Amino acid sequence: MALWAGGVLAALLITTSLVTVARMDAERQARLDHQQGAEDAFTSQPDRHPHRMVHYGHYLFRLPSPLTAMEPGVDPVTGQAIFLEGHRQNTAAGSEANRSAFLGDLSWPSPALLYQFFVPLLLILLGYAAVVRERENRTLVALMSQGVGGGRIMSGKGLALGAAAALSLLPALVIGGRAVLMGEAWSAVASMLAVYMGYLVLWCVLVLCISSWARTRGAALTSLLALWLVVTLVIPGIAVHWAATTSPSPGKISTDFAMQAELRTMGDGHNASDPAFAAFRDRVLSQYDVDEIEELPVNWRGLVAEHSEAKLTELMNRYAEQRMTQEEAQARAVGLFGWLSPYLAIGNASRTLSGADLATHHRFLREAERVRFDFVQSLNRAHAEQMAYADDINRSRDAAAERRTRISADNWKVLETFEFEPAPAAERIERALPAVAMLALWLAAAAAASVIAARRLGLQ
Amino acid sequence: MSGSALPREFWLVLRDRAFVAWLLATLLLAGFAVWSGSREVGQQLELVHELTRADDEDRRTTFGQQSDWGSAAYYTFHFTHEPPSELAFAALGQRDSMPWKHRVRMLALEGQIYESDLSNPAIALLGRFDFAFFAALLLPVILIAGLIDLRAGERDAGRLELLEATAASAAALWRLRGGLRLLLICLAALLPLWIGGIVNGAGALPVLLASGVVLLHAAFWGLLAMTVGSRQQPAVVLLIGMIAAWLVFALVVPSTARVAIDRMVELPALADIALTQRETVNDAWDLPKEATMTRFVERYPEWEHSAEISRPFEWKWYYAFQQVGDQSVEEISEALRQGRRKRDRYAGWAALLSPPALVERTLQRLAGTDAVSLLEYEEKVRDFHRQLREFHYPRLFEDASFDPAGIDQLPRFDASAANAP
Repeated sequence: MALWAGGVLAALLITTSLVTVARMDAERQARLDHQQGAEDAFTSQPDRHPHRMVHYGHYLFRLPSPLTAMEPGVDPVTGQAIFLEGHRQNTAAGSEANRSAFLGDLSWPSPALLYQFFVPLLLILLGYAAVVRERENRTLVALMSQGVGGGRIMSGKGLALGAAAALSLLPALVIGGRAVLMGEAWSAVASMLAVYMGYLVLWCVLVLCISSWARTRGAALTSLLALWLVVTLVIPGIAVHWAATTSPSPGKISTDFAMQAELRTMGDGHNASDPAFAAFRDRVLSQYDVDEIEELPVNWRGLVAEHSEAKLTELMNRYAEQRMTQEEAQARAVGLFGWLSPYLAIGNASRTLSGADLATHHRFLREAERVRFDFVQSLNRAHAEQMAYADDINRSRDAAAERRTRISADNWKVLETFEFEPAPAAERIERALPAVAMLALWLAAAAAASVIAARRLGLQ
Repeated sequence: MSGSALPREFWLVLRDRAFVAWLLATLLLAGFAVWSGSREVGQQLELVHELTRADDEDRRTTFGQQSDWGSAAYYTFHFTHEPPSELAFAALGQRDSMPWKHRVRMLALEGQIYESDLSNPAIALLGRFDFAFFAALLLPVILIAGLIDLRAGERDAGRLELLEATAASAAALWRLRGGLRLLLICLAALLPLWIGGIVNGAGALPVLLASGVVLLHAAFWGLLAMTVGSRQQPAVVLLIGMIAAWLVFALVVPSTARVAIDRMVELPALADIALTQRETVNDAWDLPKEATMTRFVERYPEWEHSAEISRPFEWKWYYAFQQVGDQSVEEISEALRQGRRKRDRYAGWAALLSPPALVERTLQRLAGTDAVSLLEYEEKVRDFHRQLREFHYPRLFEDASFDPAGIDQLPRFDASAANAP
């Protein structure tokens, strides 16, 4: 029986690891290629009006980190690409979840899911009878009479079960080693493995405790299965419900409406004569000490584009930050249930350490916004400095003026090459600490329970 | 079977404390799932209501500020959405991972349709605890726990032979015991669904169909548990066997099939659609205007007579290159949609090998929250966008003077329109 279970586990873990490694490698390569393609497309555009390039825009792709081969985290459920353009913040589009064939809630295996969900079940099946069997077979008394203490029995059984758990982590060790070779910090990999080991040891201890408390094998198995079910399926369900109802996050369309209402008071950056820019005009005129915008040494339209983009971005960022704060609050509300379910705690720790948690996605969104703002503003600067205002306002009527408003394609080199990386390992480890603390508390409580169980065993 | 067997068995069941605990757990979990799903549907309906109102207000303000049809089309957005159905409370389905609301305007649709205003990924990742989840994954475990040791439990307790000897027919006794327990668990699971159906105003037919799906699923696991349970093995061995069966059906088969299907049916990369579409739209600025207008007129020959562009900028040319941008990726975009449907079709076949996957998929289908329903919503958005174009083209190409009252003639997205067959 144990051999069978072990064989099935090994086969599942190895195939899932291979499939996930292949999948994330392919994703990484595809996104690298697309990123390169997008950068080449941008920099190879011909000479043209800089505002055209603001609307031509650019694409950024979120590269999966090396440890996502172990824990893909939110990578499949979030968009991987974002289109950057002037005056707008777009959502990240193209998630795998929305393309893949749906075959039930457990149909997306990753090594992480197997370790978090499946391996504990196998530890239960391997270990539920460990102590209670000795009691049922009346060998417990014999062992005791030979002077073997309760502690010795428990730790012996624990060692055997723990060895199975450690053995199951071999594929994780290989993926971790591979991640280090791919440039992941060893501290992140080591923390990841340590957290998983801790989680599996916790299950070993829980299994032994219940096995020693139970009177019959049936009772031990039923209670362990009930515990496993509650911890892995029921409490996460309650947590999600709790988070969704107590800290709602209404989404982008909702905040867009509020933002647009505020925006109407701000002026359209395409229309340099919008009355909203009157104060800005007076300031610029006095700064250059001239009376009319035609006399400015720079192109007034470019200045307005730059000025309004900055103000608009401030506004958009305020709403974007508000959305991200709401999402973080929801994720935190779910995370707190880690005190009740080590399954939630390990999930949080694992996603954080691998660089596939919500915060990493937000980091991508923030970096994308920084890239967007930088390239749009340097184009607006070129718009202000590299063409005459008279040409700019006449370009729709006068073909010669239109030609003069085309600036050199060298300006498109403002684009920096982008390769997304999750936060540095130290930061991820720090962020994972609350979840790790939850696991540590569970482990401590389980260890205390096992000591009591061992004493109780000795008293019988 | 004697007439007095049923009441006696009924009392015996109620005195079995472990079984009553499972029964209560069923009622509680199903009740929670239904309640939670109803709350979520309530929130979504409230959001839809609020967004529809805000959209209307926003359109009235923006539209009123315009002075020509070109800018009116440029600045006016339209909210589209797929409201949760009457049965969505039981299966929230793909609404966390596939978009069910958009704001679109007259620009190239391929640049807008993939925007996805989704719920929090941290929540989408863990999944919702809805009735479909309960019925597909938890109900089997409860049935296994409640039915597996009927016989083995009595055997372990040493009562089996006495019990079978005193019964008129041993087989009938186990059928009665097992059937009664199966029925009670089903009732406990379905009662919250029925109450949820009434509260959410669902029609009788979808609720009955959903109940039928749950009953068939329960019958599958119940019969399997009773068949396995009749083997001459200790209760724990039987239990482990059944848990293994559950794992195979709920996790191993569906995930293998999913990986296989995703590999078998390759989809075009979204990035290719997005990048091609953008190139076409942007190149148009540098191309001779006839190049754009010729391709436009191929699709809309009725505007050939006014397709000549004489000024450097004209709105009709601007929207023509938006249209041509969509035309340039039509094939690849169609391939993506076909591919997604194909994946889903294959998944439908594969689900025949996994009862839990079949239950989740069927309940989502009934609730209109499956991938196909949300792909059909995407088609509705495409249809609406076509209407929007066909509303504006006459006004742009016939150089109609702008009329603020025209806002009432703008096409409106009809969320209740029946899905295309």
